[in-house]
Amino acid sequence: MKLRRLQVEQLRQFRQPFVMDDLQPGLNLIHGPNESGKSTLVRAIRAAFFERYRTSSVDDLRPWGDSAAAPTITLDFEAQQKSWHLVKSFLQRKRCDLRIDSTSYSEDEAEEKLAELLGFQFSAKGVSKPEHWGVPGLLWVEQGTGQNIEQAVEHAGDHLKSALNSLVGEVASTGGDELIEQVKTRWSELFTPKGKPRGDYQKLEQEREEHQQEIDELQARIQKYQEQVDRLGKLTREYERTQQERPWEEAERQLEQAKERYRQVEKLEQQQAQEKEILNHLQSRQQLLRQNQEQLESLNRKLDVRKAELERAQRELDQAEARSPSIASSVQQAKSAYEAAAKQVEQARLQETRSRLEQDIQRLDQQNRTLTQNLEKARQYEQELEKAREQARQNQIDARAVKALKDTEHQLKEENIRSQTIATRLTWELEPDARLVLNDEPLEGRGDRQLLEDSSLEIPGVGTLGITPGGEDLASTRRRLSTLEQGLTEQMKTLGVDSVQQAEHRLVAYEAAERTLQHTRELLKSVAPVGNDQLLADQKETLSQLQKAKTELHNSPAPEPAQSRVTDVASAEAGRAQAETRLAEAEAQERKHQTELLTRRQTRDNAKAEWQQLLDEVQNPERQKQFQTLSKELADIEEKQGRLEATLQAREQEIAQARPEILKQDIERYQRSINNLRQTQEERQRELRDIQVRLEAWGAEGLEEQRNDKVAELEQCNRRYQELRRRAQALDLLLTLLTEKRQALTRRLQAPLQKHLDHYLSLLFPQATLEVDEHLRPGTFTRGTELGQINELSFGAREQMGLISRLAYADLLREAGRPTLVILDDTLVHSDTDRLDDMKRILFDAANRHQILLFTCHPEKWSDLGVVPRDILAMKEQGLRLTSSESLTGSSQ
Amino acid sequence: MPTFLHTADWQMGRAFSRFETEDGAALVEARFEAIEKLARLAKEHQCDAVLVAGDVFDAQTVADRTIRRVFNATREFTGPWVMLPGNHDAALAESVWTRARRLAAVPDNVHLALEPGVINLEHQGLAILCAPLTQRNTYSDLTEAFDTWETPDGLARIGLAHGSVQGLLPDEIDSTNPILPNRAQTARLDYLALGDWHGTRQIDERTWYSGTPEPERFRNNEAGYALIVNVPGPRETPGVTPVETARYQWHQWRETLTVESDLDRLLDRLKALPEPSVVDLRLEGAVTLAGEEKLINALSVAEARFRSIQCDRSGLQLEPTDDDIAALKADGYVGEVIEHLRTRQQDDDAQAARDALAILAGLLKDRKQEASE
Repeated sequence: MKLRRLQVEQLRQFRQPFVMDDLQPGLNLIHGPNESGKSTLVRAIRAAFFERYRTSSVDDLRPWGDSAAAPTITLDFEAQQKSWHLVKSFLQRKRCDLRIDSTSYSEDEAEEKLAELLGFQFSAKGVSKPEHWGVPGLLWVEQGTGQNIEQAVEHAGDHLKSALNSLVGEVASTGGDELIEQVKTRWSELFTPKGKPRGDYQKLEQEREEHQQEIDELQARIQKYQEQVDRLGKLTREYERTQQERPWEEAERQLEQAKERYRQVEKLEQQQAQEKEILNHLQSRQQLLRQNQEQLESLNRKLDVRKAELERAQRELDQAEARSPSIASSVQQAKSAYEAAAKQVEQARLQETRSRLEQDIQRLDQQNRTLTQNLEKARQYEQELEKAREQARQNQIDARAVKALKDTEHQLKEENIRSQTIATRLTWELEPDARLVLNDEPLEGRGDRQLLEDSSLEIPGVGTLGITPGGEDLASTRRRLSTLEQGLTEQMKTLGVDSVQQAEHRLVAYEAAERTLQHTRELLKSVAPVGNDQLLADQKETLSQLQKAKTELHNSPAPEPAQSRVTDVASAEAGRAQAETRLAEAEAQERKHQTELLTRRQTRDNAKAEWQQLLDEVQNPERQKQFQTLSKELADIEEKQGRLEATLQAREQEIAQARPEILKQDIERYQRSINNLRQTQEERQRELRDIQVRLEAWGAEGLEEQRNDKVAELEQCNRRYQELRRRAQALDLLLTLLTEKRQALTRRLQAPLQKHLDHYLSLLFPQATLEVDEHLRPGTFTRGTELGQINELSFGAREQMGLISRLAYADLLREAGRPTLVILDDTLVHSDTDRLDDMKRILFDAANRHQILLFTCHPEKWSDLGVVPRDILAMKEQGLRLTSSESLTGSSQ
Repeated sequence: MPTFLHTADWQMGRAFSRFETEDGAALVEARFEAIEKLARLAKEHQCDAVLVAGDVFDAQTVADRTIRRVFNATREFTGPWVMLPGNHDAALAESVWTRARRLAAVPDNVHLALEPGVINLEHQGLAILCAPLTQRNTYSDLTEAFDTWETPDGLARIGLAHGSVQGLLPDEIDSTNPILPNRAQTARLDYLALGDWHGTRQIDERTWYSGTPEPERFRNNEAGYALIVNVPGPRETPGVTPVETARYQWHQWRETLTVESDLDRLLDRLKALPEPSVVDLRLEGAVTLAGEEKLINALSVAEARFRSIQCDRSGLQLEPTDDDIAALKADGYVGEVIEHLRTRQQDDDAQAARDALAILAGLLKDRKQEASE
């Protein structure tokens, strides 16, 4: 859709006709200061489309104070490859005329055409409201509403969807959403938004449990009731049987018998106790008598003991005395052995001294001989030394001087050789008679000479030839030779030799003498390291020692020849120590024996005295008589005691057989049994009464019938619950399916819109994504790690998002072949410069596809938009001029 | 020539939990009416006595009101009643009978056979040999004692017992309270009146189960009768006449719907049933949307007609025809949902799918109607 021309008159501040023509297919920037009429123009376009021509609710269009005005809007635009001309007047002149190409429509029909073209509805009554605006509401942005996109999308929803359907070729279900709402309403009756049962459904679930609980309780009581009934039956039978059998009576009879038996046993026990008393008396008397008797008898026994003791002491004394002689002889033996051992030691010592002296003499003699030899050698070496010294003195020569001499000679020889090589060579071969004289030396036959100096060769008969040897070196060589020869002669003179050979001979002789000297010195040192005098003194000392040792040996006594074996001192000493120990032992033995002897004698004497004393006492006659009386009395008591004990034992047995403790237990047992039996029966009776009463009370409640009723209630409840559950499951399934299918459809529908949105978004935020939700609204926004909804963004960002979303819708609509016109009234006032630049790129890009009318009061901000800004004030003035000229010509469209 | 009425298994105090409260109450009421009807019949047939062979009460602890109402309902027949405790109302140390006595609810003409023994009704010419259950269950034949009991000459020997005749009744081989099949012969009985089997059943010429006078389950065969027994003379074969006493007929149908006419036939059968019926339907197979509508309508009509009708349709698939779907005008994704639910009926959660489909069809139909309005 392309708006070509806009004309308004009698509309707010445009009392006079105002024309804005030559509108461009792409961007149009229209500016003017506040109150210049920008918003009025926007309002005029809206009114031309949205407001019914016949409405009276558009008073705001009337110029202030002009009640006769007929606000008129004339629009020329192209759409659907046709040219559209719309004239709409309100209030005083209510008219609507529309010409599409050459076809004219008017009034309602015209308005329907417009609504169909742009996709909006008319208000049934009064002024048009946002919910009627449809697609234009989305694309025509009023001042300060750019960020609020959700409502606008919702109002345009059906048109967008139909556009999408035509694009995608999908058929959205007719009234499908309404159906989902219906299902959801029914679902919500049974479920909370979170899917938990609610209302009756939940209550029934609860009731079911309550009923079940009641039933369980009743069932438990019934169970108890039946148990009690069973108990009652059992108790009744037991009670009646017991009442008939009366088992306690038998127990009572047995109790009586046991008691009688026990009384008899008690009587026996009394008798027994009395007789035991008598027996005790007898026993104590007997004990007393026995003690007396014992005392008497003990004297005799003591006498025997003493007798035995005496005999033993005597025997021991005899034994000791018998051992005396052998002990004395062993002492004697030990003594003589010791003396022999002592003598042995003395001999061994003597022997040892002598052998030591002999060894000394031998050693000293040897030493003396060695010293004498050494002395002799030393003297010889000294003579040799003197001779060598003399030799050295005669031949003394400086070895270095000899060396220098030899060097000089060597150089001389070399120099001679060199002179020979450079000398002029004269060879000759003369006739046998021919003679030559060279330097006064006659030459004949054959030969040759080296000539170093100017020479003359006289050939007899001929004359003399002068020969001067050539070459520069010859003169220097000749000089060196004479220097060297001079040096050699001097050196030989210094050394006192005639020739080099002589010098060398002397050097050799000298060196030999030196070596002999050195050798002989070493030899001398080996025999007399500190000199011959010391050697002599040593020999003297050795001789004196030798003399002394010999004298000593001679003086020492000779060993006894009788002593056959000669032992060493150590073993002799050991032998003596052993003998000494044995002697000491023998002596100690003897001393001990003497002591023992004395002790035993004493013991024997004491034993004898005691025995004698007791013997006297025992043989006293009064004591004999007393003893006899005692014996008789004892025999009497023993006889009585024997009889009594027999009686006691018999009775004891009788009592034991009767088992009095068991009898006592029997009595207790019977007593208890009787009590128990009676008590049990009484308790039975009591319990019977109790159960009877309880059962009567419970029976009156009709428990089982109650339970049956409750079960019926539970089943009712269950049935109702199951019905609801089935319905709940069915609704749940249905809702899930419908929602799923619808979502799948929406996702298919979203794709084209998403594509356009992504296009713009990438220009504004290269890394960001903005997802379209199921209602085709921009929803989740992500940028890097940020994630959130559009309405969580800043106002500026929201406005930018709002605008790119609208542009995306415009693209979508255009793609679906719908007309698009974008009107922006002072938009993006909250954007910073950078963002605004991006938005300009976006707008410029969108203007390639859509006509965009951009109204602003800040033209400087949009100066780089690439379009010529149009000033409303300027157009007004132009319009005035135009109008006046038009009014003059009277032509009008 | 004594004549008596033989009945059993009244099961008073039973609740009918599977039915709606109102229906359950009506069925309970019918059982009281049945007793009144028995009394009336006894009077009409000039019976000398009424013998009740056990399970008068369904439980030991029933409400006092129930006890009183049971005995009140016997009022019309003033001759002797002999009531025998069965397994549900055994003569325990404390029982429904002892309570009835304590409540003074038992009329003088009602004899309670709480202990084994013979009740001589000399006036009526009957000696009743009673084998009451004194425990909830016994495993010995209580009627064995009948063989040894002597009765006065000139009185008919009538046995009264509650339990399972051995070897005759199906699935009850190890059952409790056994009774020898030829007890009537071994005990020289003229007639043996039995209870416990809820359908009327003859064991031999002298031995019968009367069955319950008013049916209370779907499974019973031949329930809802009482027996009028005539004993012509000692050792002569008694004449036994079953008399109908039931108010309600119980029907349980298991049907599979495959073609459309199956449904029509079923509905025709349903229409043919008398009004005092208790019906239990379980349907399997498949119906179209139209069929489902027809069925629901028919069930709605039946609910009003019968005492009770229950219909389990969880095994019945909903198979909308293409016409059905076209009629619903379900396009777009709603159409996809319908198709999905159709196929899903074969799966595990077939029931949910079926119900969901029904709901969806209902909603669409409503919408269509709204639109047409």
